[in-house]
Amino acid sequence: MSAPHPPHVKALNCPSCGAPLTIHGMQHTLTVVCANCLSVLDAKDPNLQVLQKFEAQQRIQPLIPLGTRGKVRGDTYEVIGFQVRGIEVDSIIYTWAEYLLFNPYKGFRYLTEYQGHWNDVTVLRTLPEVSALGARPVAKYLGETYKHFQTAEAETRYVLGEFPWQVRVGEKVTAMDFVSPPRMLSSETTAAETTWSLGEYIPGARVWEAFKLPGKAPSPVGIFENQPSPYKGSPKHVWVIFLILLAALFVVAQVTNALSAKQVVLQGHYSFTPGSTGPPSVVTPTFELKGRPCDVEFAIRTDLTNNWAYFHFTLMNTDAGEASEFGREVSYYSGSDSDGSWTEGGPTDDVLIPTVPAGHYYLLIEPEMDATAAPMNYSIELRRDVPAMSYFWIAALLLLIPPIFTTFRSITFESRRWGESDYAPSSD
Amino acid sequence: MRHPFYLGYGLLLLSLCGLAEYRGWSFLSVNEVKNIPKSMRDNPGAYRSHYGYYARHVGGK
Repeated sequence: MSAPHPPHVKALNCPSCGAPLTIHGMQHTLTVVCANCLSVLDAKDPNLQVLQKFEAQQRIQPLIPLGTRGKVRGDTYEVIGFQVRGIEVDSIIYTWAEYLLFNPYKGFRYLTEYQGHWNDVTVLRTLPEVSALGARPVAKYLGETYKHFQTAEAETRYVLGEFPWQVRVGEKVTAMDFVSPPRMLSSETTAAETTWSLGEYIPGARVWEAFKLPGKAPSPVGIFENQPSPYKGSPKHVWVIFLILLAALFVVAQVTNALSAKQVVLQGHYSFTPGSTGPPSVVTPTFELKGRPCDVEFAIRTDLTNNWAYFHFTLMNTDAGEASEFGREVSYYSGSDSDGSWTEGGPTDDVLIPTVPAGHYYLLIEPEMDATAAPMNYSIELRRDVPAMSYFWIAALLLLIPPIFTTFRSITFESRRWGESDYAPSSD
Repeated sequence: MRHPFYLGYGLLLLSLCGLAEYRGWSFLSVNEVKNIPKSMRDNPGAYRSHYGYYARHVGGK
């Protein structure tokens, strides 16, 4: 049950400056801060005794003005208090804002904000179980394990409104944060007590919607300690899809391999003597390619040793009066040196000619070698409709890109999160 | 279904692989020459212009 209108609002005046004050938290309010002169007043004292008067370098305007009401988890709450707290790390002060919300039937809860990151926080009534797991403590609460993120001394630096405790600027507590995104457990320890609270990350837009604030919520900066990762679970799912697609790719490769004709259409053995006076070129007998346009594999086998040969091929389509020309170099060298034996290149070569239509063909082979080289024996074999497995290797590599990218993004997100913790690589 | 774009991307790659196999695509670049006379078989290479003959290869180590 929610109560949009607190039954009693007590009107008072600041004893320090005379500015009007209102108390919405009824009997719960222990201190109230005058927004005019920044005096912290004892709300339980009939004369509103001044407990503290603090100086602020600049007045801070809460993003949610005091007195604003909004619905949080179905109940109406009013913002009655605001404080800015900070920690000092490596001589840098990091501050965050805390908004105290009050519902006379539901009690208090908090909204915290740090650089556009919001948390809905409630004080715990049962204690988490804290234990050290290796070098890093963990806290267990309601079956969930929270990893220790940071321990620091937090200092209250600015206060406005009313509070159910004796608030003071300069008050210090030891704060410990344990995270299990999107939730976090926080403990605040003073000499007298330890208070535990549970926070849940909420987008700023939801805060703006709940309190009907004008404009848009400030964009979050960086990654907050309990900010849920947009990649949580993604790498695992993407890798599962990758394995499925890889299996499908393997099946497609096997099927296309099985269905390929791999039909030998030409075979010939030849020899070539560099510098001879005879015709250097070879014209093969005419052969026929049947069926759909498909690739034709040229397999060149030579007896080259420590030599090279260049083959200029012309595949003549006698039906269409067209020719396809291309060249291939075959070179093979071997020897030994202080590192042992070595080889370079090879005496054979295989190449696929793309999309050759059906028809009658002959092949013109024009070898070239160094004029002083030894004669070369070589053979040519042509097969049509040969599977090109290189496509599948390339596809497998392309399939790898999204899972690697997603995994990298996920790891980067978590690295940035923990880079702000006590366990950052650069932390002592 | 999570990651529909990746699934679509993967299926597209699979389809392209199948199509490449069926159509006989290859990465080799060949020089296409058209309108070659049928008598060319008796005089191989003569369809090339005197100045348009392919560049001589300079290979080896």
